[in-house]
Amino acid sequence: MNLRLHIWRQAGPSAEGSLKAYDVNNVSEHMSFLEMLDVLNEDLIGKGESPVAFDHDCREGICGSCGMVVNGVPHGPERKTTVCQLHMRKFKDGDEIYIEPWRASAFPVTRDLVVDRAAFDRIIQKGGFVSVNTGNAQDGNAIPIAKTDADRAMDAAACIGCGACVAACPNASAMLFVAAKIGHLAALPQGQAERDSRARDMVLQMDAEGFGSCTNHYECEAACPKGISVEFIARMNRDFVNASLKG
Amino acid sequence: MRPFREVWQSTIFTKWVMAITGLLIVGFLLGHLSGNMLMFLGKEHMNEYGVELRSLLHGAGIWVVRLGLVVIFVLHILSALKLSGRIRKARPQRYAKVTPQESTLAGRTMLLSGLLLLFYLLYHLAHFTWGIVHTDFYAHNVGYEYTLANGHVVPDVYKMVVNSFQQPLISVLYLLAMVFTGMHMNHAIGSALQTLGLTNHRLVPVLRKAGVGLSIIIAAGFSAVPISILIGIVK
Ligand code: HEM
Ligand code: FES
Repeated sequence: MNLRLHIWRQAGPSAEGSLKAYDVNNVSEHMSFLEMLDVLNEDLIGKGESPVAFDHDCREGICGSCGMVVNGVPHGPERKTTVCQLHMRKFKDGDEIYIEPWRASAFPVTRDLVVDRAAFDRIIQKGGFVSVNTGNAQDGNAIPIAKTDADRAMDAAACIGCGACVAACPNASAMLFVAAKIGHLAALPQGQAERDSRARDMVLQMDAEGFGSCTNHYECEAACPKGISVEFIARMNRDFVNASLKG
Repeated sequence: MRPFREVWQSTIFTKWVMAITGLLIVGFLLGHLSGNMLMFLGKEHMNEYGVELRSLLHGAGIWVVRLGLVVIFVLHILSALKLSGRIRKARPQRYAKVTPQESTLAGRTMLLSGLLLLFYLLYHLAHFTWGIVHTDFYAHNVGYEYTLANGHVVPDVYKMVVNSFQQPLISVLYLLAMVFTGMHMNHAIGSALQTLGLTNHRLVPVLRKAGVGLSIIIAAGFSAVPISILIGIVK
C-alpha cells in the first residue's frame, strides 16, 4: 500500500518543529508501524536527509520505550496495543497518517518523536518501591496473599510506563501512571509500611512536574496499551486524602 | 511528615473540594427544583412556600443557607479556576490531530459551561432575588400581592414568575441556561464519584448512569416551568 505521512520534525529541544509530509510506497500489511518508519528512514538516509528519530527497544510491546500519537490516538488505532505491535494491516492504501510526539510540558520533545520522560523516573524515585527486605525468590511464596489482591497488583503492575496516558489526556495528566504505581504496591502486604508516604510523595512529585490535573475523561484508559483501569485513579484519590489526613 | 499546606495545594485535594462543593450544589438544585414544582400546584402553594422560605428560623434560616451557598460556590469556582490554569500550562503545544475515544463534549467543556452558569446565576439572582433586571415583573416593585387562605397578605411570587416567563426572551434565556446546567451535571456527577474514590464494582456503573439520569431530570425539571408558561399550561 502507499501512504502519505505527516510527521512532526524537530531538530532539537529548543528548535522550532513542524509537520512534514512524506510519501512511503509499497508498504506491506505485515510490517509493524515502526518497521514502516524504518523503511522511510532508509529512504531518507539514502537521500542524505536526517532520519525520523523515535524511541523503541523491545518491539514486542513490553518495554514501554515506543510511543507516538498516530492520527490523534496514542499508539494508534488498535486498543491495548503499543505502536511497535501495531501492524500496517490496520491501515489501507492511500491513507494519510499524522504522527506526532507525546505532547505535555512535563515531556519536552528531545527530537522529532522522542520525548524526555524523566519526569516519570523522578515520580518513581519518590516512592515507587518498597524498602522492606522481601527476601529471596522462595520467600515470595511464604507470604499468603489473597487471589483478588494478587490479581489487582498484577493488573496495576502491567503498566510499562510508556506515557500514553499523559499523551491521551486532554489535560496532559499523569494520574493513570501514578495511580498504577501506587495501586500496585498498595495491593500487597509488602507495600503497606510505606503506603501513606508513598501516596503523598508520588502525588506531590507528579504535581511538581507540571502535569495537568485529572477531570475524569478516561481517555487514559482507552489509550493504555495494557488496559490499566481508571479504577486505580479512584483508589489513589482515596489513598492520597487518607494519607494526608493522617498527617 | 509533610506540612498540610503542601497537601491542600495538591491537585487531588483541590479536586476533592470541587467534588464535595459540586455535589452540595447538586443537592441544593434538587431542593430548589422541588420548590419550583409547586408552580404546578397553583398560586396558593407557591406563594405560601415563598413566605415560608423567608421566615425559616424567624428569617435567619434563609441567610444561613445563602451564606453557605456563597461559600460553596466560591470554593467550587476558585478550585475550578486554579486547576484550569494548571491544565492550560500542561500542554502548551497542541496536537494537529486529536481523536477522542472516551471523553464527551460535556466533559471537555466543563469550564465553559461552568462560567456560563456563573453568569446565568448572577442574572437569575438579579431577576428574582434582587429585582434589578426585568423590574416590571418584580413583585415588590410593582405591588403584586396575594392574600393566602389564612388571610395573610404576601408578595405574589407566582404572578411574578408567570408574567416573567410569558416574555419569550426571558424564557429562552432560562432554557439556554438549562442546557448548560444539564451539560455540566452530565459529566459532573459521575466525575465527582470517581474523584471521591468510589470503586465498588456493582455500584459505580449504576451510579454513573444515575448521575446522567439526574442531570437530565434537573435540566428538564427546571425547563418545565418556563415551557409550561410559554405554551399557556400554567398561567
Ligand atoms: C449550578 C452550579 C454548579 C454545580 C451543581 C456544579 C457541580 C459540579 C460537580 C459535581 C463537579 C464534579 C467535580 C469532580 O469532577 O470531581 C463539577 C466540576 C467542575 N465545575 Fe462545577 N458546578 C457548578 C457551577 C460551576 C461554576 C459556576 C463553575 C465556574 C467556574 C464550574 C466549574 C467547574 C469545573 C471547571 C469543573 C471540573 C470539571 C471536571 O472535573 O471535569 N462549576 N461541578
Ligand atoms: S518498543 Fe518496547 S514496547 Fe514498543
